[in-house]
Amino acid sequence: MTNAEQFETFMRNYQNMVFSTSMRLLANQSEAEDVTQEVFLKAYENFGRLDGNPAAAGWLKTVATNMSLNHLSRYRSRWSFFSELFGSADGEANEPDFPADDNVEEAMLKTERCALVEQTLQELPPAQRVPLVLFHLEELGYEEIAASLGVSLSKVKTDIFRGREVLRRKLKLKFSADENAA
Amino acid sequence: MNLNDNEQLKLAISRELKSLPELTAPASLASRVMAALERRANLPWHHRSWATWQPALQMASLAAMLALFGGLCFAGWELSRTETIMSAMHRAGQLFSGLNSIGSLFNILAGTAVLVAKKLGSTFIIACLVAAGLGYAVFMGLGTFYFRLAFAKR
Repeated sequence: MTNAEQFETFMRNYQNMVFSTSMRLLANQSEAEDVTQEVFLKAYENFGRLDGNPAAAGWLKTVATNMSLNHLSRYRSRWSFFSELFGSADGEANEPDFPADDNVEEAMLKTERCALVEQTLQELPPAQRVPLVLFHLEELGYEEIAASLGVSLSKVKTDIFRGREVLRRKLKLKFSADENAA
Repeated sequence: MNLNDNEQLKLAISRELKSLPELTAPASLASRVMAALERRANLPWHHRSWATWQPALQMASLAAMLALFGGLCFAGWELSRTETIMSAMHRAGQLFSGLNSIGSLFNILAGTAVLVAKKLGSTFIIACLVAAGLGYAVFMGLGTFYFRLAFAKR
């Protein structure tokens, strides 16, 4: 097998993981494709030490996360202030219409449920989606998120809280207090 | 929502997000990357990034750059001590003496501005600055609003 063929096999093994990481942070198909391509071009330069290395997945995920964040800061920071000002603070402006079925959680098949979670996540404003994804999927701490996004710790906590609240409403998640109230 | 519910929500969201399957990358992605790699491989070595050059070439180019830099520094030092350069620098100084009059003009303008500011009073100046700031914010806000309107997801 030639080096190019080896690399293509390596890429096919990890392309979904890299694309998912970028897509969940950027919420834009073509931007996520561009970032994924850049990640693999960088991976090719380091292929000698990545091939057969069990840490390759972690390396790719970290590079995909960093490149997505760079992409966001490069192209979107100029709009972030007013997007947060005019887009409602809790993401109401971006709410898609979903059927108002109380038993939706039981009724939905797993694939539909995943599609709903994915859609809701992608409809969140970037200011909420990005820290939420970094916290829950990339498992970064609040301080790390604040440092990588260049915002205050309290803003990170507030944005994550608001993002969770939107997800709670959309996914009809119920807890003890809600059940007692009902 | 109490603290316990917050914790439950955190766990529930983690569970929901972690249960998501990986998204499928577009089928064309691999061929796009391979094409980009091929284009990159076909570039002549001097068009590629320095980091990808052969180590010997990197060393040679580094040595050449250092030698060039050192040579330029030495030549600059030697030239600055020669008679011709000294007189050329003197002439250049005379040529740029006109800049002094531009500097004094700015001084006069700044003095006038200070006098006008004193005459108008600080309240008026602050009001002007606030109005300018508000105008800028409205301009940015409207621009952002129209941008979001034009590129809103449909």
